[in-house]
Amino acid sequence: MEPEIEVLLRVALTITSNQADAEDLVQETLLRAYRAIDGFDGRHPRAWLLTILRNTNANMHRRQRPGTIGDWELIRTARPAFGRAELPSAEDSFVDHELHADLAAAVRALDPRFRAALILVDVHDLSYSEAAAVMGVPVGTVMSRLSRARDRVRKSLRFSPSTRGDLS
Amino acid sequence: MTGTLRQMLTCHWSARRIQRYLDADPAARLAPGEISRLEGHLATCEKCTQLAAEHRALHRALSLWSGGAAVDPRSVDRVRDFLSTINDEDTP
Repeated sequence: MEPEIEVLLRVALTITSNQADAEDLVQETLLRAYRAIDGFDGRHPRAWLLTILRNTNANMHRRQRPGTIGDWELIRTARPAFGRAELPSAEDSFVDHELHADLAAAVRALDPRFRAALILVDVHDLSYSEAAAVMGVPVGTVMSRLSRARDRVRKSLRFSPSTRGDLS
Repeated sequence: MTGTLRQMLTCHWSARRIQRYLDADPAARLAPGEISRLEGHLATCEKCTQLAAEHRALHRALSLWSGGAAVDPRSVDRVRDFLSTINDEDTP
């Protein structure tokens, strides 16, 4: 489980938008995983943990706001965080500083279901199956939402003055 | 006319597969024949090559955000300590 702690914290931070809540969610997830480990077949540990994380988060939310929230709503506020301290190259620096305001606007304009797929796969580098585990939907649904999200962001950046020439 | 129509159909076919090709995700890999056909098309079609380049650039820009979505190292340490505590409690 230990190698997955950072991924779990990143995804939890996306879901909760709060460092302390993310930490609580991951600790509760690990506790539940530990109790359930005898039933785990040993395959795809990350997807297994992410499924537990999703269910744990849903349960915590239901306790707080019973019956008011759908599963995908849990990641409706999903957003990337900014503030990378070091960048590997001048080109990356350009992409980060020049594109990210437009990119952020384009991502925020997405339907939350599409945005969640984009952030989980492209920002957090989860596989389709792992993203499906977090979102509680089939892999095909992740693929279709991801495809739409990318197309919308790509097209919206085409008309952005600071990205013209880079993504168009 | 027939050539243009064929080109349009191939572009449409390619556009539907470019993301899967670039992602190479184990859950949805393209068949070897599809990869060859797509690569052959990309070698000759400027429009589809541009589309692939846009997807690469977008993925690159988004993946840089993951560096920004930094997890506090102290959080990682606290969770690691928590995991050790569970393990220790369970060890006879």
